[in-house]
Amino acid sequence: MRRIVGCAIGVMVLAAAPSFAHHSAVMFDDAKEVTVTGTIKEFQYTNPHSWLLVDVKNDDGSVTTWGFEAEGPSTLTRAGIRKSDFMPGTAITISGHPMRDGRPAAAWIKATRGDGKEFDPRAGFAIK
Amino acid sequence: MTQRSTTARGWRLAMLALAASIACASTAQQTAAPAPSAEKQRMAKLGIDQKTAAGLFQYLKQQANGGQPLTWRSVPDWTGIWTREASPFFWDPDQGSPTALPTAKLTPPFEKELREKLDRVNRGIEFDPLSNCEPAGMPRWMVEPFLREWIVTPQQTYLVNEMQNEIRRVYTDGRDHPSQADAYPLWEGDSIGFWSGDKLVIHTSQMRAGQYQRIQPSYTEQVETVEIWQKTAPDTMAVDVWSYDPPALAEPWYTKQTYKRLSNEDKSLRIRYWNCGENQNNTVEKTDQGTSDFSNFTFTQKDDK
Repeated sequence: MRRIVGCAIGVMVLAAAPSFAHHSAVMFDDAKEVTVTGTIKEFQYTNPHSWLLVDVKNDDGSVTTWGFEAEGPSTLTRAGIRKSDFMPGTAITISGHPMRDGRPAAAWIKATRGDGKEFDPRAGFAIK
Repeated sequence: MTQRSTTARGWRLAMLALAASIACASTAQQTAAPAPSAEKQRMAKLGIDQKTAAGLFQYLKQQANGGQPLTWRSVPDWTGIWTREASPFFWDPDQGSPTALPTAKLTPPFEKELREKLDRVNRGIEFDPLSNCEPAGMPRWMVEPFLREWIVTPQQTYLVNEMQNEIRRVYTDGRDHPSQADAYPLWEGDSIGFWSGDKLVIHTSQMRAGQYQRIQPSYTEQVETVEIWQKTAPDTMAVDVWSYDPPALAEPWYTKQTYKRLSNEDKSLRIRYWNCGENQNNTVEKTDQGTSDFSNFTFTQKDDK
């Protein structure tokens, strides 16, 4: 698979690293942020982590499926994210800390759906 | 709470927890937690004075005149969905900063082990046994995040953490622990307790060796705990916890844990069965270097770069 270019990917330095309750986050590069725009392929609403799979079209017409990892269903529910929020085929722009080894996966930071609604999966640990 | 403040608070919590995984090791050796409060010092001294977990439990029972049996009419209302307050990555909420050392007074071998672990974390080498889908187990159970329920009956109290469906059973029917000859290490240990008014006092033994959290000290199979659970407000459960573990702790480690009841007005929060292995994409393996990496994803191949 070729690396994706020209698909609204941006990289910037951040002050925070991802962290998950089930595993260390050392496989993600917390100093980088990747943003892709595509369409939702599948929302795997599972424990201990959920994965939002997004199909991203490359410049050469090929498609790369990116996976964005978040906490499991109950924590996402607390963040106001339900399974029905990300139906297959929905347009999305999504950001995360990318894998250090270059695989198309990332620790999910934020997302904006095609209709403009924004989602913060990490808000789920807030007490309210 | 507004969505904006909720998001901001969540972000701050995430920042604190997340920074811990990378920043702790680099500076922990130079920083100490703030001085404990007078109340915390008093509780810590109580643990030291009683020397053992069993001794403290018996002392508290004597102070309570043996405790009072619970009846269905006197069962306290501990219903609701709860979660732990504070960063899930510290055992002692008073540690406060990822740059502070844990507040435990460790024995030299266990302090050395902790410093070596923090050094590895600082070099990006980190693996959590939970990645193998192991339960957290007691006492780590106390500080794992996610949803919790407390189910009180006169003879037995069930303390539930959603993660890995971990349920602690606290027997309050007057039974003792199994004999030493019949004891063996258990993920949640063996818990007996008594009620003193609205306080539940618990003694737990027979636990497996583990770690208080991913970047926290280790404990041995000799660890025992004493807890005092009390609902101090409609949405607050306060728990005094003493850990005893002579090989690892130079003196008992006293902390206060706090759990908060979530609003759940729309009833959307429900504890479901937790299957750690249900999604191949969550398979994390320990590398030859001793750190963590994902195995093969279903949506790509490992050699995709």
